[in-house]
Amino acid sequence: MAEQQKFFEVIKSGTDIDFIGNQKYWIGSSIVLVLLTLVMLPLNAFVLKDRGHVLNWGVDFKGGTELVVEFNKAVDASQVRDALTSAGLHNADVVKYGNEGGATAFMIRLGAVSILSGDQAKKVEAAIAHVGDATLHKFESSEGGDKVYVRFDKNVDNAVLKAALKAAGTDSTDVQSFGPPEDYTYEVTLIGMDSEVRKALDAKLGAGTVKAIPQVSSVGAKAGKQLQVDGVRALLGAILLIVIYVAFRFDFRYGPGTIVALLHDAVITVGAFAVTYKEFSLTTLAAILTIIGFSMNDTIVVFDRIRENAAKYRDRKFDKVVNHAINETLSRTILTSATVFFVTLAMNIFGTGVIRDFAFAMNVGVIVGTYSSIFIASPILIWLNEKYVAMQKKQAARPERNVRKPVRRDEEEAAET
Amino acid sequence: MERSWWWKAALYCAAIVLAVLYLVPTVVPEEKRPAFFQKYFKKRIQLGLDLKGGLHLVYEVNIEKAVASKVDRLANEVDDALRKKGADFTVVRTGRDDIAITFKVPGEAAKLDDEVLKPHRRDLDVVSRDAATGTVKLKFDADRVAEVEELALRQAIETIRGRVDAFGVAEPTIIKKGTDIVVELPGAKEKDFERIKSIIGRTAQLEFKIVDDGSEYMKKVAAQVPKEGAITVAPESWTEKHQGTQHEDVYLRVKEKDKDELTKFIAGLAGDLAVPNDREIALELMSPREVNEGTPDKYYRTYLLKKRAGVTGEYLSNAEESWDEMGRPEVSFTMNRQGAGMMEKLTGENVGRKMAVVLDEKITSAPVIESKIGERGRITMGGYGDPFKLQQEVKDLVGVLRSGALPAPLKKSFETQVGATMGQDAIDKAQISMGIGALAVILFMLIYYRVAGFIANLAMTLNMLFMIAILAAFEASLTLPGIAGLVLTIGMAVDSNIIIYERIREELRLGKSPRTAVDAGFQRAFWTVFDAHVTNFVAGIVLYSYGSGPIRGFAVTLLVGIVTNLLTSVWISHWMFDVLVNRRGTVRTTLSI
Repeated sequence: MAEQQKFFEVIKSGTDIDFIGNQKYWIGSSIVLVLLTLVMLPLNAFVLKDRGHVLNWGVDFKGGTELVVEFNKAVDASQVRDALTSAGLHNADVVKYGNEGGATAFMIRLGAVSILSGDQAKKVEAAIAHVGDATLHKFESSEGGDKVYVRFDKNVDNAVLKAALKAAGTDSTDVQSFGPPEDYTYEVTLIGMDSEVRKALDAKLGAGTVKAIPQVSSVGAKAGKQLQVDGVRALLGAILLIVIYVAFRFDFRYGPGTIVALLHDAVITVGAFAVTYKEFSLTTLAAILTIIGFSMNDTIVVFDRIRENAAKYRDRKFDKVVNHAINETLSRTILTSATVFFVTLAMNIFGTGVIRDFAFAMNVGVIVGTYSSIFIASPILIWLNEKYVAMQKKQAARPERNVRKPVRRDEEEAAET
Repeated sequence: MERSWWWKAALYCAAIVLAVLYLVPTVVPEEKRPAFFQKYFKKRIQLGLDLKGGLHLVYEVNIEKAVASKVDRLANEVDDALRKKGADFTVVRTGRDDIAITFKVPGEAAKLDDEVLKPHRRDLDVVSRDAATGTVKLKFDADRVAEVEELALRQAIETIRGRVDAFGVAEPTIIKKGTDIVVELPGAKEKDFERIKSIIGRTAQLEFKIVDDGSEYMKKVAAQVPKEGAITVAPESWTEKHQGTQHEDVYLRVKEKDKDELTKFIAGLAGDLAVPNDREIALELMSPREVNEGTPDKYYRTYLLKKRAGVTGEYLSNAEESWDEMGRPEVSFTMNRQGAGMMEKLTGENVGRKMAVVLDEKITSAPVIESKIGERGRITMGGYGDPFKLQQEVKDLVGVLRSGALPAPLKKSFETQVGATMGQDAIDKAQISMGIGALAVILFMLIYYRVAGFIANLAMTLNMLFMIAILAAFEASLTLPGIAGLVLTIGMAVDSNIIIYERIREELRLGKSPRTAVDAGFQRAFWTVFDAHVTNFVAGIVLYSYGSGPIRGFAVTLLVGIVTNLLTSVWISHWMFDVLVNRRGTVRTTLSI
């Protein structure tokens, strides 16, 4: 027999921390965090004035335009905001965006997708109600469209219409008649948001202030809605499929614990975004899905060991078995979480844009994911097992011997609980 | 070593060699690769548009308008057929799908019989016939609406594809998503963004209209031109070559900068001077050719056109770049048979007159018809200027004409444009963060697990190699979230190794020999690792199917990573452990783990 080997260990083998015994404190703090999230969301929306939304939705959910503007000279955010406001681009979010080699860059987020939106469209409609001796019949603009269709009762010259639109404060790159000539319908192609922003900034801060607009994204309101729906669907779909898999691999007692743990992680990560008011975008959603995968991973490692030990030590109390399994896997749990945490921390510190948001979500998610598999999923498993054992006794069927049960009886139990 | 170990060795080596081969096109520049190699391995990883820079556009097709214009065409056809039967009536499209035909004499409504409607019996349903007022109501068949919508969408995609191809952007992606069209153009240059967007969104209506020269109306208008303004009146005359018929006309002209004044003047024409219903006044930008006068100003001139287009671009069969006798680029086109017939009729009836080529409402040229024109014609690009720019314009126009007019207008609903500098910055940052992350993990594994850590690092390196090779083989594009996915795979690989190693340590603590401990550790840990991978895989599949653009990139790397990770951290590293614990007969008593 080989002599006992020594290893480099962070968590000494044989460590026996009583996780389950102290669970009420842990569960309590989880409930506090979840509540904090639930309070923070309406607080953001209604109380904190400079926030104004439940979460800091990115343009991909809210619809709008997001531009990165690089400047040739030093300007600050308030100057940029003022310049935009004076050009009629209200409520712009202006955030510093990197600062390398002395060049200043800002991320500007505007609610509008096209230069013509809402009130402005109405104003323009009123302004071109009569062009020459022609009367406007129909003004068709959609939030987010880069084109407007107008219909008159008479022929209107394209250039005249263009001039009338310009006088109403709307620049267009092109005006042309659309459909059969006797329809008197004209298609107006509006200038892009980036041109408008450049114009506004150059006008107020001096020509040539804007060096470049290297990145522009715009999402129409409808597309934004669609992305939201898709996102929620993806989240629910993933959770459902994972739970089905767990139910299939383990048994139904293991299911609820994993679901609650997953939701717990997702909610608290969202909470972190609510508190910090970092942008919540599609990428964040992807990060939450990844966190769900990771948290699941963690829970499965622990549950796997619980199942194994439960079969091995049938004479022990189930909660002791669980606590022992958690301790046995603790070393792995800590090591993995720490490595993933540090890798994503590096991404958070050194990355840019999308990567950074992603990494932040992961940082939060790794911590709560690890925590939830120990302090949320396991207690729920114990609780369900107690119910199950009690029910078995009541039914006075076979004595409870094996923790693993055929699935069919579990279904009966699930139906009853 | 057991025999099976050697089999595995051969298999893994083959996999590694294959992976390296697939990786070569991505890493080694094309000119340094041998020719035979090119033949089999040329797929490489593409950089996604957030890294390379480029355009991502989503368009909604205005399907309502497509249906309306289809109904318009049907109304016109019914109109023509009825006219041949000699009735007095009006045809109006009332709603999107409805046509109302009102006869002057109610009794004539019977002329709208099966013979007229037969060619359209699949399209049009008779809703009501009001004998008293002589009104017949027709409705576009509901089943056909869906067909038209489907067709419009498909046609729009084809049209966009044709235009993008003509522009020469590498690897464009144009796909349908619901009723939207997604266009991705990685690598498009920042300076071309506006041009690309305008080309994609261009309606591209080409029309040929006859110029009504020598009209009394233009003379009347010319007499009203204010003397002191920028507008001048100019006469012109030409002789028809064969018959010698004289043509005389007057037109108005202004310098390019004074265009607004001319358009205002025309728009202001009212009462007696109002433009007749079947005529229109259009402008052309002219470039005088007298070179000895230095650089003479360009000017706009008017044409009085017959409003109804004789022939339209619908009947084009091809368009290509060509050069005129002066060597200036122009577009030459070919009509299909039906269009050629119409063109022949139109030009045959109007020899000696001018015919305006109107593209998107602007006259590009208005040559005199010298003889009957059949299937071929050309469009000159008006004036000289920057020859390079002219050439580009010609190329754009050829692309647009070839792809045809859009069946319905497009509405942009989503747009991302990323400049190349932004992309480079992102790549640098991503590389730094990835490097630091990977380095930290490698060091940690070495310190914590010693030799076993070295094996884990080797397995992780192989994992990266396989992953990137598979991405290259699929020609996947690497996006910023994709890089995040790569980094996460490192995390997963570490996790698998830790799970296995901790298990091996436990087995060793129980006093088992290294060999049994390794086997037991791998065996026991396998299902745990497998379950973890499956759940992540499920999340990845969901992400892929619901996600859009960048998220898909993340999902793809995640999915590939999960598969390669299972291979490298479970099987290949087990195989490497076999070397460690089974070395030639000597039974090891300790294991560096």
